Amino acid sequence: MVDNNNFALKTNNVYVHYGNKMAINNVALDFPKNEVTSLIGPSGCGKSTFLRCLNRMNDVIDSCKVEGSFIMNNTIDIYRDDLPIENLREKIGMVFQKPNPFPKSIYENVAYGPKIHGVTSSQSELDDLVKESLHRAGLYDEVKDRLTDVATGLSGGQQQRLCIARAISIKPEIILMDEPCSALDPIATAKIEDLINELKENYTIIIVTHSMSQASRVSTKTAFFHLGNLIEEGDTSKIFTKPDKEQTNDYITGRFG
Amino acid sequence: MVYFALLLLFIVSYSFYYFGKNRALKIKFTGDQKLASLPDYYGYFLVLVVFLPSLIIWFILLLYKSNFQELYVMSPTLFPDIAQWSDAKFGLIMNKISNLALIVNIPEADLLKGQTSLLNMSSESELIAAKNLASFDSIYGWSIVIVFILLPVILGLSISRLINQKLNVQPIVEKIIINIIRFSSIVAILVTFGIFFSLIFEAIKFFQYVNFADFFFNTAWNPNRAWVISSGETVDPEILKDAFGWVPLLTGTLLVGSVAMFVAIPLGLASAIYLAEYASSKVRDIAKPIIEILAGIPTVVYGFFAALTLAPILKNFGDSIGIDISAESALAAGLAMGVMIIPFVSSLSDDVIRSVPNSLRDGSYALGATKSETIKKVVLPAALPGIMGSFLLAVSRAIGETMIVVMAASLRANLTFNPLEPATTITTQIVTALIGDVEFENPKTLVAFALGLSLFVMTLILNIIAITIVRKYREKYE
Repeated sequence: MVDNNNFALKTNNVYVHYGNKMAINNVALDFPKNEVTSLIGPSGCGKSTFLRCLNRMNDVIDSCKVEGSFIMNNTIDIYRDDLPIENLREKIGMVFQKPNPFPKSIYENVAYGPKIHGVTSSQSELDDLVKESLHRAGLYDEVKDRLTDVATGLSGGQQQRLCIARAISIKPEIILMDEPCSALDPIATAKIEDLINELKENYTIIIVTHSMSQASRVSTKTAFFHLGNLIEEGDTSKIFTKPDKEQTNDYITGRFG
Repeated sequence: MVYFALLLLFIVSYSFYYFGKNRALKIKFTGDQKLASLPDYYGYFLVLVVFLPSLIIWFILLLYKSNFQELYVMSPTLFPDIAQWSDAKFGLIMNKISNLALIVNIPEADLLKGQTSLLNMSSESELIAAKNLASFDSIYGWSIVIVFILLPVILGLSISRLINQKLNVQPIVEKIIINIIRFSSIVAILVTFGIFFSLIFEAIKFFQYVNFADFFFNTAWNPNRAWVISSGETVDPEILKDAFGWVPLLTGTLLVGSVAMFVAIPLGLASAIYLAEYASSKVRDIAKPIIEILAGIPTVVYGFFAALTLAPILKNFGDSIGIDISAESALAAGLAMGVMIIPFVSSLSDDVIRSVPNSLRDGSYALGATKSETIKKVVLPAALPGIMGSFLLAVSRAIGETMIVVMAASLRANLTFNPLEPATTITTQIVTALIGDVEFENPKTLVAFALGLSLFVMTLILNIIAITIVRKYREKYE
């Protein structure tokens, strides 16, 4: 039904173990290009673990073992041995649950990624890139007069948008968001959600969220996880109106989780 | 005797805890009113009112024991002209009476010859005073028994009668406890000031002999010139002009300290980075305590390691490549000192680096940075203020270090910045000044206090800077 080329990332047979404990059990999930996919489910269901597999952030954890196939753009196996992890993360950016700006200036925060990857060749090019990234993250107007101020002085919502600006500064194809609004108030949350809606024109976004209303507002596709299993996936409108599985229905109607 | 009484006081006080608590619990309540405080507090209340007065009176007795003695013994009825005595005479007679008191109650037959003649040389009133003094100790002993046992029991029993349902002792108890805690911290602060002022007073005596400018700006250090001065004599400052110039000591201290930091900073920082970022937790658990042992080795051991092992090796090495390295070089002392302060740098920096939140590391990795880029560009900059703080603490440790330089560095003041030459340090000269056989009031001895004061101020400033930096850093993530 959908053309294969329209998937940014396809996963299959994914198993994740922490030591002897199974965290993800045989999950297969595909992420359509330039769309927002949300991963929902109760705490401890493995949705964050799964998300962190997609840019290999789990590699840092010694006891964590990831198996399965992860194919990006139908060609690149992101767990291939000869693929430098740094190049992968240049393509797949990430925004974390708690805003984590570096204790540097606002400018330096956004310039960090481009500097490491040598994206720009001149200072003015870098300046433009920083400005553009801040613009896209909807932060530029608020901080344009104080780019040299320390980023940790920004409000929580501004910090999170700065982290988004930082993530898009190296022009990734996919942005992973791990409960990006859970530490924010409703107004800051609304701004981030607007931002997600704008960003999906250029990026594929995968978002883990605890808020079902958020999932229904921002995403076109939703996957429901429970106890490491992928229970159901499909169009967001379908999942939230007439899900196939009873478990899904129980969860979205608030009967458990 | 006193310790036995003190033990009794503890037991008495402790039993009053249960006494007070029980008394409170046995109160028959009228109406629906309950006890004003929790039952425990009536116990604490009695303990405090029993324990504290005894303790305070005991301290006063201890502090003024000799005054009470004199008051008791040297009465004007025995010595009518006592008001006219000079302090020296008073002291002499008191001394004589103390000696007499030791023998006055011994039967004459058991006395030695000298003791008999001392008795015969003494006046009637002196003998009476001596007998009084001999009896003073037993009076003093009994007064302690009263203070430690009778007073608390009487106080405890009478105050416990006040306990009733409406007596709210909780605020009283808390107030007393807060004041005890406050007193403890004041004591610590007072001790610091006491040390500072004792240094200042002795240093002022020193500066009566030597000009301020001659001390701080002169480059000649020849303290032996002060041999000629006898106590109390006023001397022409010109004689001491070139005797106490501290500049070569300062440069020596800075020289040895720099060598030490040259060793400690790279090694300490590198091991901190390894421990915090690369070592597995197993390696870290073993390696960190071992590195910290370096700080626990007695400095005297470093001293003879530097003097007897390191210095000859350096000298031989220098000879083999044609460089003249002194046997008492600043290099040897500095190297040993540097090894000693490695843990100050590594341990503190390790803690600081580890306290950088992992979310920052994740943020950097997620942008495709490698581990070394993350450490260099995110972790270390974030930890930098704390790392600087650890450097400064290590520096102040280095310039205050004594034993290593006493053993390994030279005694000769030498104004140089060449670590291969001998150099002396402030601390070495303080030791030398105080262990000499010159009388105390001589500037050669008193200079120790001027040097100590300068050193104290230097390390104080360094510590204040270090603490300010570390504190500023702590606030950053909150």
